[in-house]
Amino acid sequence: MEIKIQNVGMTYPSGKQALKGLNLELKSPSLIGLLGPNGAGKSTLMKLLVAALMPTEGRILADGAPLEKAERQLKASLGYLPQDFGLFDELTVTQFLDYMAALKGIKNPKSAIQKTIQAVNLEEKAKSKIRTLSGGQRQRVGIAQALLGDPPFLIFDEPTVGLDPEERIHFRNLFSRTAQERLVLLSTHIIEDVQSVCDQLVVIHHGTILFTGTPEQLIESAAGHVGVFWERDEKQEQGLHITARVNTSQGIRCRAVADKLPPYAQAEEPTLEDAYLYLISREAV
Amino acid sequence: MGKIFRYECRRLLWNKFFIGLAVVLLLYGALVLHAVTILGVAHTAPFSPWSFGDYLSRMLPLLWIGMLFFLTFYTSPKARRAAALTDAAPMPPRRYALARCAAALTGGALLSLLCMVEAAVFYVRMFGWCGWGSLLLPALATLLPALVFALGSGWLLGQIRPWLVYVWMAVPFLLAALPLPEALGLWNGSFFTACPLALETLDPAFVLPVAAAAAQAVLLAAGAALLAWGNRLRNITKK
Repeated sequence: MEIKIQNVGMTYPSGKQALKGLNLELKSPSLIGLLGPNGAGKSTLMKLLVAALMPTEGRILADGAPLEKAERQLKASLGYLPQDFGLFDELTVTQFLDYMAALKGIKNPKSAIQKTIQAVNLEEKAKSKIRTLSGGQRQRVGIAQALLGDPPFLIFDEPTVGLDPEERIHFRNLFSRTAQERLVLLSTHIIEDVQSVCDQLVVIHHGTILFTGTPEQLIESAAGHVGVFWERDEKQEQGLHITARVNTSQGIRCRAVADKLPPYAQAEEPTLEDAYLYLISREAV
Repeated sequence: MGKIFRYECRRLLWNKFFIGLAVVLLLYGALVLHAVTILGVAHTAPFSPWSFGDYLSRMLPLLWIGMLFFLTFYTSPKARRAAALTDAAPMPPRRYALARCAAALTGGALLSLLCMVEAAVFYVRMFGWCGWGSLLLPALATLLPALVFALGSGWLLGQIRPWLVYVWMAVPFLLAALPLPEALGLWNGSFFTACPLALETLDPAFVLPVAAAAAQAVLLAAGAALLAWGNRLRNITKK
């Protein structure tokens, strides 16, 4: 599976420009993390990729064919979990997945449903009505319908929202396993989720791409720009972005990113979160 | 598509709303049959096509509401959130809409059937009468165009604004209060009480004047056209 995004721009009828001049190539197998603050344009990009919206500029090619012509073909090989979605509360988990399997035209729905129910740990709730499920369980049903039929292209928009830490780790591993032979696009603002599993990162901000590359490359880009210092030493520095404040017995220890670290700060090895915040803060200056 | 249709029927028909509506319909139907139909309309027998048509036209507002309520399963904000998942599936939107509308129409047909069965039981019990063939034409002429029009117009309005479907539910009550032209007499029941008197024979056979038949045919076609338009509008607004 190969997706090419060429000079894509998206302006909503309200006049809001959500994306501008986006160029990106996504190729399987890969697990790509899409990072960006709220309102950066991540969800708009995802909607364009599932043909729920059409770009106002540029074009998207799916395996070489323009998306507007290959919409059905793309949807046949797509599993999608949007950020905000609803389920049919009147149906049981199995019935809902059977419904989605019929919509997706899956040949052997029974075994496909059984497999996804197992993958998302919902065996005990398989015969329960959806209205009786908790928020986390509903999220798992959403993930299950995306995984149904082993589609070669998976898009997850904030998939771990509402899941407890144990479930989040389970799903991270599931996404990682899934991406071994497929193209998985994972949009989130939880850095931990992408740090542990993604082999490629795309950082998007104000509708443009700020970074594409591996997590290591992003971390490298922040080397020498992360430091720690005691809060009492802090002066009113321009361009210093505090990323953490820890209360210790000796006072408050601050961690910050900056283009140029102040002399009182002691340089530290950047984490992915530091590197991401450095990238975003640099853009804000 | 068959499976989607079956699941949609299950969603629409296997819930408290449907059972509640069926109970209300039966109770109101019993009231109409025992208080109005039993006397016969326009000097015709209670089991004449005219009296039966009058009974159905009195049931029409509730059937209209039922039909539009089925559509709220597809047009409500909650349903729109579920569409984020279903729209990403490869099934062509027209086929999907067709399966869903067929399920809503089945719901409307079942409610109509319930009214007719109630009338049948009433006729057999009260008069030992069972000449159903003559009642088919007034039933089709009264209900089919109205329900298809409710489906098409409701579907279109639901795509524009979900709350418009609820506003649209009041239409038959409004029509009942308005002096409609003769051709639209089927919509407020005036046709069944006025037409037999104009025929000037005792217990006349059921006839549908050309104007009334044309009006019903236009409504039927308009319902189908609005349905197609609503589906197109949905795809346009999505993009």
